[in-house]
Amino acid sequence: MNRPVTTEMITDRMKEFGTVEQVRKNRIRVKTVPDKLTDAITTVQAVLGFDRLISISTVDNGETFELLYHLIAPHRLIISLSIDLPRDKPVTHTVSDLLPPAGIYERQIHDLFGITFEGHPDLKKVILNEDWPDNEYPLRKDWKSDPGTFYGGINVERS
Amino acid sequence: MAGPGTGISQRLVNWARIKSPWITVYNSGGCNACDIEIIACLMPRFDVERFGILVKGSPRHADILIITGHVTLKQASRLRRVWEQMPEPKYVIAVGACGASGGVFHGLYHMMDCVESALPVDVYVAGCPPRPDEIINAVVTCLDLLREDASHGGKEWRQKKPVTGMAEKSPTVES
Repeated sequence: MNRPVTTEMITDRMKEFGTVEQVRKNRIRVKTVPDKLTDAITTVQAVLGFDRLISISTVDNGETFELLYHLIAPHRLIISLSIDLPRDKPVTHTVSDLLPPAGIYERQIHDLFGITFEGHPDLKKVILNEDWPDNEYPLRKDWKSDPGTFYGGINVERS
Repeated sequence: MAGPGTGISQRLVNWARIKSPWITVYNSGGCNACDIEIIACLMPRFDVERFGILVKGSPRHADILIITGHVTLKQASRLRRVWEQMPEPKYVIAVGACGASGGVFHGLYHMMDCVESALPVDVYVAGCPPRPDEIINAVVTCLDLLREDASHGGKEWRQKKPVTGMAEKSPTVES
């Protein structure tokens, strides 16, 4: 991009996807909905030059899971696209087809929070051990370790 | 193997083993501070090769396994497999507070309690991280143990209590 991207340009362009908020000087947060996320990422990639994914962070705020997709551009602005997923049905569509590095983040989020990403090519465990029990997601706020459950490792009678 | 230290070849093997122990270093989930101290041991300032200590990449060539860090659940079976590949007599040194008790990570959801809950440990090194001289001291202590064991014909004389339930289930990893 030759002409500089200003925050007004981003606000104008991203208004249709949801509320735009400038949280810090170089950081803009866009609160959108899961259905519009693919379009939003396509727009920020193609029009505004945010072509690199930094990270996908997840917040368990009690009622919902909030996913934040942080993208950075050569003009050193960071845009955070945020979506909310309901706790009882944490399913969203993958963005690994648009942003290939998102695949490994989504596998990790699937491990630790139990959020399912539809269309992900290989959503298997990446960070937890292989014999970790199903339906146990350790970074959820309401998760408690059960002393009777075998979580993996070597099966030793603990004293 | 013949009786304890009887044959000339066995005595030669014991002498060679004490003269030059080969170690392998395995990080089972630590923060790499202990690894840096071990690397400092290998560097010219501390220079463990003057004791004949040589770092090998493969556990099949090593006499002493140095474990740095706590044991995560995912690493436990791998660590156990590394240990099983080593030829007898094998010795284990757990370096740092994490290896002894889990350290600051003790009680987390993805942790074994200590290295001892995965495999038997011979020498512990305290510190977070320990100094390189303490690590060298641990290896030399291990050599004293090796010499004692060679004169007694095995590790049984120390009567180290085996970890309960270890033999029943060997770890399996689905590929």
